[in-house]
Amino acid sequence: MSVFMDLNLVHSPDQSRLQRLVETAAHLGFSTVAINYVFEPTAKKKQIPSPMPIKDLIPELPIVQGRSRPIRVLNRLTVVMSDSSHFRPTAAEYRGFDLLAVQPTTEKLFHAACMICDVDIICISVTEKLPFFFKRAPVNGAIERGVAFEVSYAAAIRDSTRRRYTIANATALMESCRGKNVILSSAAETPLELRGPYDITNLGVLFGLSDGDSKEAVSSTCRSVVLHAETRKTASGIIYTVQVPEAPPCRAPEDTGEAPAAKRAKPGAVIDS
Amino acid sequence: MVRVKSRYLLCEINVTDRSRLLLLDDRAVAAAVRASVARMHGDYGAALCSIRFSVKYLNAHTGIVFLRFPKKCYRLLWSALPFITCIENRGQKIPCFLNCLHVGGTIRTCQKFLIRYNTQQLHRMLPKCKNEEEKHEIQKAILNCTLTKRNKEAFEDEFGSDKEDDSDDDNDEEEEEEEE
Repeated sequence: MSVFMDLNLVHSPDQSRLQRLVETAAHLGFSTVAINYVFEPTAKKKQIPSPMPIKDLIPELPIVQGRSRPIRVLNRLTVVMSDSSHFRPTAAEYRGFDLLAVQPTTEKLFHAACMICDVDIICISVTEKLPFFFKRAPVNGAIERGVAFEVSYAAAIRDSTRRRYTIANATALMESCRGKNVILSSAAETPLELRGPYDITNLGVLFGLSDGDSKEAVSSTCRSVVLHAETRKTASGIIYTVQVPEAPPCRAPEDTGEAPAAKRAKPGAVIDS
Repeated sequence: MVRVKSRYLLCEINVTDRSRLLLLDDRAVAAAVRASVARMHGDYGAALCSIRFSVKYLNAHTGIVFLRFPKKCYRLLWSALPFITCIENRGQKIPCFLNCLHVGGTIRTCQKFLIRYNTQQLHRMLPKCKNEEEKHEIQKAILNCTLTKRNKEAFEDEFGSDKEDDSDDDNDEEEEEEEE
């Protein structure tokens, strides 16, 4: 059995609803979920949302179905791009998020998002007819860089017209990317909009993915997206800087003993900043 | 003799309010599945769904259903299941969704899987017990699961580490086990 992930749970200010969402996701067997903050620069609220620490949001993480580990929760920011100035790669606000996604609205911006922008996920619009074609060149460029395309299915569950748009846009995407680097996620607002991992795998067949690709779309591609996000934050995943809280010197040796050996070995050096 | 092959889908009906599960019956579930297939795949899907589709088993306490589909087209019919958002029974709408747990070739494999799954659920429930009595009852129920006798080590491993997030009645699960 592989590890399933759902990298899009829509953030809402209502904390109890988010908690129920995460609990349902754990019950269904997802071991990693991401809470999605959507940022539209053209909307009235101009500020980039700041992520809430997971500990405050969900005090006690539920145990994943079929495993003995608690669920892992990440933060994710989606920038809706309607102008090239909307995505500022150096913005300090982006650093608080684990995952970074863009949703381009024109062909030029789609090209830029695929080739230049330093992001992890490119969202495909599922609520409207596609305003542009997916050309092979930018799509191939994105696949080479390890950027994934996201299709979310909650809109398809809600009503019939959006279901048509979702299936149409997804099939158009699969034609140009041939099922590589696609992730399927929920974009669920309520717990009843989530679906089990096996159902999503079968849903992928409806979107034009092959059996193997649609299984990868909920498991291993998601994992590579999360790893890609880590390399964005660190220097190619080799050097990683962590803020060490000022600890009293007597406790220091105990802390190093607690660090898991597997995590220590991988990064070449841990530099305190 | 060649036997007619089918696929059995073991699905779990997830609702927000567990007490509403008792309103369900198999005819309502079958109608919901048929309506969803007809909505998604039109007349073609409805025709395929009318051949050998049936709801084989429904446990209203735990929300478990067995659906039988012809083997040839079960993937097509399965792809309509995620679009079920509510089941209507006797004028009452029950908002819910189906979560497929297992696909089997015979009912027997599905039953084996279900017993294992329910044992797992009991293990997840154990740390949530409020008093000793409940804990004792669940432990007894776990030991009663006969078809797949778990060895003692596995029991010790999961003891205390797993958790159940549904706040349903313990008695329901126990009845379920005894029925098996």
